[in-house]
Amino acid sequence: MAYLELRGITKRFPGVLANDDVYMSVERGEVHALVGENGAGKTTLMRILYGLERPDAGEVWVGGRQASISGPADAIRLGVGMVHQHFQLVPSMSVLENVVLGAEPSRLGVVDRAAALRRVQAIAGSLNIHLPWHARVADLSLGPRQRVEILKALYREASILIFDEPTTVLTAQEVQELFMVLRRLAGEGATIILITHKLHEVMAVSERVTVMRHGRVVGVLHTAHTDPRQIARLMVGEEVRPAVRATPPRPGEEVLSAHGLRATDARGAPALRGLSLSVRRGEIVGIAGVEGNGQHELVQALAGLAPVGGPGRLAGPAAPPLSTRRRREMGLALIPGDRNAEGLSRVASVAENLASTCFYRPPLSRMGLLDLKAMAERAVQLVRRFSIAVRSIWATAGTLSGGNAQKLVVARELSNDPQVLIAAYPTRGVDVRSAELIRGRLLDMRERGRGVLLISEDLSELLSLSDRVLVLYEGRIVGEFPADRTDPHRLGELMLGEAQAEGRGLNVGA
Amino acid sequence: MRMGAVDVMDTTDTVDAGYTGGAGTDLRRSPLAPGRFGALAQGLLPFVLALLAGAVVLAATGKDPLQIYSIVFRQAFLGTTNLADTLLFSTPLVFTGLAALVAFRAGVFNVGVEGSLYLGAFAAAWAGFTLTGLPGAALVPLCFLLAVLAGGLWAWVPALLKAHLQVDEVVTTFMLNYVAILFTSLLVNGPFLAPGTANSMSPQVAPQAQIPTFMPGSQFNWSFVLAVLLAVGVWWLLQSTVPGFAIRMVGDNARFAAASGISVKRVVVYSMLISGALGGLAGASHVLGVTGRFIDNFSPGYGFQGIAVALLAAGRPILVVPAAIFFGALTNGGGLVQLFSNVPIDLINVLQGTVMLFATARFALRFRLRRAGRRVGRGPEAVPEAAVEKGAHAEVQADAGAGAGAGAGAGAGAGAGAGRDGAAGEA
Repeated sequence: MAYLELRGITKRFPGVLANDDVYMSVERGEVHALVGENGAGKTTLMRILYGLERPDAGEVWVGGRQASISGPADAIRLGVGMVHQHFQLVPSMSVLENVVLGAEPSRLGVVDRAAALRRVQAIAGSLNIHLPWHARVADLSLGPRQRVEILKALYREASILIFDEPTTVLTAQEVQELFMVLRRLAGEGATIILITHKLHEVMAVSERVTVMRHGRVVGVLHTAHTDPRQIARLMVGEEVRPAVRATPPRPGEEVLSAHGLRATDARGAPALRGLSLSVRRGEIVGIAGVEGNGQHELVQALAGLAPVGGPGRLAGPAAPPLSTRRRREMGLALIPGDRNAEGLSRVASVAENLASTCFYRPPLSRMGLLDLKAMAERAVQLVRRFSIAVRSIWATAGTLSGGNAQKLVVARELSNDPQVLIAAYPTRGVDVRSAELIRGRLLDMRERGRGVLLISEDLSELLSLSDRVLVLYEGRIVGEFPADRTDPHRLGELMLGEAQAEGRGLNVGA
Repeated sequence: MRMGAVDVMDTTDTVDAGYTGGAGTDLRRSPLAPGRFGALAQGLLPFVLALLAGAVVLAATGKDPLQIYSIVFRQAFLGTTNLADTLLFSTPLVFTGLAALVAFRAGVFNVGVEGSLYLGAFAAAWAGFTLTGLPGAALVPLCFLLAVLAGGLWAWVPALLKAHLQVDEVVTTFMLNYVAILFTSLLVNGPFLAPGTANSMSPQVAPQAQIPTFMPGSQFNWSFVLAVLLAVGVWWLLQSTVPGFAIRMVGDNARFAAASGISVKRVVVYSMLISGALGGLAGASHVLGVTGRFIDNFSPGYGFQGIAVALLAAGRPILVVPAAIFFGALTNGGGLVQLFSNVPIDLINVLQGTVMLFATARFALRFRLRRAGRRVGRGPEAVPEAAVEKGAHAEVQADAGAGAGAGAGAGAGAGAGAGRDGAAGEA
């Protein structure tokens, strides 16, 4: 009998069967992947295990005994720990304080810092995790913050660890480090459940994988005896056909360009150091690069959301000092990289989110008065056209699953027939089917003679969609490749700044 | 409180659901009917809990809570004059509640309504006692117009500072209150001191500038009707107009609004202008409807109580009216409790504070509900999450304000009473 068993879990929400007689078992020392499209029921299942939901039927067994979990406190007592996708840390407190928060060792009512540090270091040491214990969490980047989260769970003696899409916010390097930690944890006998969308991660780190679709388990596979194609087929219930460019590139005039762009990041450090690029009609230009090399600032500058400093010059719809609204009116559209921060308002309705870029002009309003009927009409059309799963257009956008929320953003941005689209991580955190739909729309843009600037961390996506791939490193374009003649190894080296260090020159592929 | 993870958790899988892009579905129907009842129950909860807490305190001090509450209730609601007085006390709170609410909904925490109220009151009074040659039909609107301008311009200063220099509006608006109060005090102690009076007050406004009352025996007047109309107006503004839409988008998520092409700076500025204008109207209605003149330091903290009212109304303009009436009833009914029992007025002030406390608790409750995945669907007029969170954090100040106001709470009755006497004396 496996260490952790979920037996016959059923959970019904009004109108949905989120979990339908779900069985899942995970052994000690196993990294077990849990995959499925957004809305397949993975998160509900894990919330039940963590005591955040009560199942309508079914049992949880841990270590051969039936467990009764009526809240997170019970789950923690059973050794269940959760590493959330969005970290639950106190930014103003130190790493050490965050780890022990709520369970501080104390002597005579006073927090025993020395003892806390000893314990935390002992746990960290066995996993080869090193962190600046006394630094404020606010000063850490996302990878180290995640390690703080992991330590937090381990400090509470978690033996079953749930990772909810842990790699979403990490750089490629940090993902590798995370996987090392996962393997070491498993090696020490921990039971690990990894929720993910990325099949290559499943292949890289898990022993077995449970696939869910529409609330049911549709397959439990040994990773060694399967391949991504089979998993994807189970997830979506059909073959996934990756979008590929159907026609050869025939780029036209320039629709978006930047010359010598300079900008600083939020802390005032230089983020763009004389960046130049251009996007022409009928082409998709991909930006490859490790996140944090100026992608965010590039998008902000092109969209008019941040001032551009230095001798930078923008042309096309993105010429300063135009306001964001003016740029949009001239044909610029933007899929922001951070969906929940910039792409939509979670408390506004779907209809309002779909109207946010054009509510102020006909047909959605006249003389300062909104036409709510027209707004609803338009929303219904877009919801249908982009198959956004939502019960009502007046439901808040926060009720949408990740894939549907992103489809909402894409639907809005493409609704006004833009001349040029800036798409930052358009398929991040999105299920396979929605991602394919979105990629298809980007290719549509290209076919219809529009320009697309695609920023992505997914190299296969970049290479399959783009006509040209530019490599962004430390605020500059350090290389350009025609997409069909790209050497992934050289691309990777450029992204990591290695080619430069070795003095191999810039225009590698050109 | 970090809610991000929780939100993400419960949205991914739980509600994906009812999806049927099928032709038969009516995507236009309003989401989730059960939420409505829950929302109503949640809206009433702070009142019930506060009354329960008050009952415990009363019982602990050897009083009969039911008896005290029935005194308050009778004095507040039974009998035409009593009801009229309750509505009279709630009138300024409707205005200031709406003022706070408009700024809230844009994500701006304007705690400077009190300042706008003072300047609006003085502007209205000045027109009322200076332009005495005008007929009432011209003078009253003019008084209100000047109050709107004075209150709006006062809020404009911190609005510009916030929009262009990122100066925190909580600090500037709060400090500017003192400037406004002391400045108007200077005016009525110096150049505009009514001749022949020792008290710091302006001359009486012209009779035709006074807003007619509904009945003898109460100063309840037409400005309450104006206030209710404004509540509907603010609802309409937020719901059905382009600027209102922009206000809600900015308040809900400013970065998203900016990325959508909405100028956050402009929205901050005009929401503050509207907020200040409403604050100015509060002052004008008090001068023209109740006191008949500008009296130094006349407000027992109406501007601050407005913050409490807006929070209690959970950002919904129409609910500002019942929320204001609740506070008005406590003020009106509480005054009498002291006379008929030996319960001090302070207890009534404690009760007001308790309601605010539980209103805050309600926000926490809502977060918990969401945590449990039972996300309540809301219509287009949803409460901005940001405002709620900000509101929760600003609660301390609201409470402080209520406390400050409460201290002067007794003075509220006294001040109004004095105004009444004064008017009677002149007559």
